[in-house]
Amino acid sequence: MKKSSFSVRAKKDFRRNRNLYLLVLPVLAFYIIFHYKPMYGAVIAFKDYSPGLGIGKSPWVGFDNFIRFFSGPYFGRLIRNTLLLSLYNLLFGFPAPIVLALLLNEVRNKKFKSLTQTITYLPHFISMIVVTGMITNFCMSNGLFNDIIVFFGGERSPLLQNPRLYRTIYVASSIWQEVGWGSIIYLSALSGVDAQLYEAASIDGAGKWKQLLHVTLPGISPTIITMLILKMGSLMSLGYEKTILLYNAATYETADIISSYIYRVGLVDQDWSYSTAIGLLNSVINCILLVLTNRLSKKISDTSLW
Amino acid sequence: MKSFKTKKVLAVFAAAAVAAGTLTGCGGSNGGQQSQAQQPQSSSQGQAQSAADASAATDSAESQGFTYPMDTDAKLTYWCELNQNVSANYSNLGDTPFGQEWQKETGVSIEFQHPPANQGSEQFSLLLADGDLPDLLEYAWMSYPGGPEKAIKDGNIYELTDIINQYCPNLRKYLDENPDIDRMIKTDEGHYYCFPFIRGDDKLCNTIGLMLRQDWLEELNMEVPTTIDEWHDVLVAFRDKEGASAPLSWEYTMGALTSANPFAYAYGTCQDFYLGEDGKVHYGPAEDGYKQYLELFRQWYSEKLIDQDLGTLALDQVSAKITSGEAGASIGWAGSRMGTWINAAVKTNPEFMLVTAPYPTLKEGDSPKMGQIDNRYPNQAAVAITTSCKDIEAAARLMDYAYGEAGHMLFNFGIEGESYEMIDGYPTYTDKILNNPDGWSVAQSMSAYIRGNYNGPFVQDLRYLEQYYTIETQKESNLVWGATDAAKYKVPPITPTAEESKEYSTIMNEVNTYRDEMTLKFILGDESLDKFDEFVETLKGFGLDRALEIQNAALERYNAR
Repeated sequence: MKKSSFSVRAKKDFRRNRNLYLLVLPVLAFYIIFHYKPMYGAVIAFKDYSPGLGIGKSPWVGFDNFIRFFSGPYFGRLIRNTLLLSLYNLLFGFPAPIVLALLLNEVRNKKFKSLTQTITYLPHFISMIVVTGMITNFCMSNGLFNDIIVFFGGERSPLLQNPRLYRTIYVASSIWQEVGWGSIIYLSALSGVDAQLYEAASIDGAGKWKQLLHVTLPGISPTIITMLILKMGSLMSLGYEKTILLYNAATYETADIISSYIYRVGLVDQDWSYSTAIGLLNSVINCILLVLTNRLSKKISDTSLW
Repeated sequence: MKSFKTKKVLAVFAAAAVAAGTLTGCGGSNGGQQSQAQQPQSSSQGQAQSAADASAATDSAESQGFTYPMDTDAKLTYWCELNQNVSANYSNLGDTPFGQEWQKETGVSIEFQHPPANQGSEQFSLLLADGDLPDLLEYAWMSYPGGPEKAIKDGNIYELTDIINQYCPNLRKYLDENPDIDRMIKTDEGHYYCFPFIRGDDKLCNTIGLMLRQDWLEELNMEVPTTIDEWHDVLVAFRDKEGASAPLSWEYTMGALTSANPFAYAYGTCQDFYLGEDGKVHYGPAEDGYKQYLELFRQWYSEKLIDQDLGTLALDQVSAKITSGEAGASIGWAGSRMGTWINAAVKTNPEFMLVTAPYPTLKEGDSPKMGQIDNRYPNQAAVAITTSCKDIEAAARLMDYAYGEAGHMLFNFGIEGESYEMIDGYPTYTDKILNNPDGWSVAQSMSAYIRGNYNGPFVQDLRYLEQYYTIETQKESNLVWGATDAAKYKVPPITPTAEESKEYSTIMNEVNTYRDEMTLKFILGDESLDKFDEFVETLKGFGLDRALEIQNAALERYNAR
């Protein structure tokens, strides 16, 4: 049969599924109005934006803002800090909810299981301000963590003033806050693994560990990979909120990241064009990372987003 | 007949051409290259002019005999930060007795808009970036990126010279009587841009200083320290004999308190710009005195005389330490710190008392030279009329009210019979303020009726402070902290030109970040002081010399105003 042209097929499809198209319309409009239209504003990265003149009339400056960032004294440090912090977040933060989900999956006592789940979810709902306030107070030289260190024979020191400890504090607290919430999706994936597979494995003589390796993990691997790709896409986009609440001048060396720098130059110093340029650059890197991971995973595991 | 008609048409054209020429001439004379920004300005001035002409024609005495309240149905939007003493009890300034009285007395309705707490400058940026401005915008306008002149050129706010001359007899009179202030609130080009917050007396300008536990000093049989060495002895005694784990503790993360460090002043330096003996602007951290100050603090930090958590200290932690006796000395304001702490601590420890200490010197008997001092125009809470404002006369008259007799009383003392009584010609706060029946603190009950205890577009009255400070040692704070030549070393309110400002802020952004980082590292001992020269070299590498050049040029322009 001869394949009809695209427009003919599209028309036919539209006629057949008119209601479905109608349903998708509001969502489409949402994305266009709130996600694509504001992108136009990103052109100020190439301009010397002045609010009085507006976006259209501000003068073009080409790549000046990008060059300024690349040649600035903090460029190397910002990239390094952002990458390292993201990497540690990924390295330790990504497997944590999977491990928790696997552990919970093995728990037979229903009450204990749901109690543990509830307790691990809770920190997710605490506001960032409160969380960082708690961390700050616990890290003080007379705070909880120091009490514990002293109990084990250590010495008191202001933990948040130590640039070498900053990343550990940042990543560990993120895990504490998000591990329970992140495990939900894996728990649901786990419940979807066919029980017959476990039966067959145990008949073949597989113990709990072998079952985990050969049944459970392959069973949830599509979920893991999808989550990994999504995570990679936002690898460089660490939010500024937690950083500006946790860092201080003594820890800039390891704590200052691209987004906190954007916050300072953009919102505090009101250098909009410059901060937009950095933000744009950040998004481009994220986009590249997303595409790369997706391609890689397609090759290795046949699972991909598109 | 026909030729006559043509002539008439020609004449009309000619007249129109002349008129157009005058109009464009007006726009051009106002200051060169700018664009549409100038357009609404000149036309509104034109309107103002013709409106005034019209009223002058009907009643020549009207502009002289103008009286409040105005007969207007104007409703203006007014954006400002809500002071935390107000927000404790009110969510909007318009809900306070002060806000209502101001509207009633002037006849102008105001719709106040407030940013979330502590987000003033971010929200201000967003307002500007968005372009949808309120009629009146209260802000530290000297901090506008590029300076106030740029704010005018950007088309965000009106140039006020004509407006002030036209509608603001009270402010005009004050400025004519105080040429010093007049010079401060203008741009280099001689343009007015705001209704300023002015400290009405030099004594109101010494606001930050040292304080320490008087009851401990008495217990230890020690005097209030005046030199660096005496301070060392006192802090050691606080640590060893009084068991203070953080003898000296203050909110290091608060810029105002860290840049006004009394111990740095002792070495003839500070964390920021100051005016040198040579009459030029200097940057403290790049000079030798700063190294000596760092050595001192590094030593004190290692001896555990300074709070070990210095870098992360915020108000709540410092307050807790001072009131619980973990700390015995601090840097801060006499009202919002000293008074609050004393009042909070005496509830559990009736002996608790703080005393102000003078700015320390290196040698016994010397008198301190540098110290913290505000400019009389301290770059806070100045109000500009934005280009979105339609009713300029109402806005100008509303603002001018505060600089007149009645407005001055309202802004500083509130409502007669309610918040104050005239006793022997002295406006005395009532019990409603000083012993609030609802249990509000003095600062909170004041904030409901006045703006005198924080800031705003008016002239602050010393008589407010005399009553705000209720404890003897607070009352002395002006004298104790004010006994310096601080004014001589204070950089006046200067601004770089719009062209230089971007370069300047780029340099200073990097310089200050590096200064903050290294200063703390030097003090904490993370970085050796051998690296101080390297530190200064790095600052220069960022363009510090260029920044100083810009500052000094700005100073020259200021002196030439």
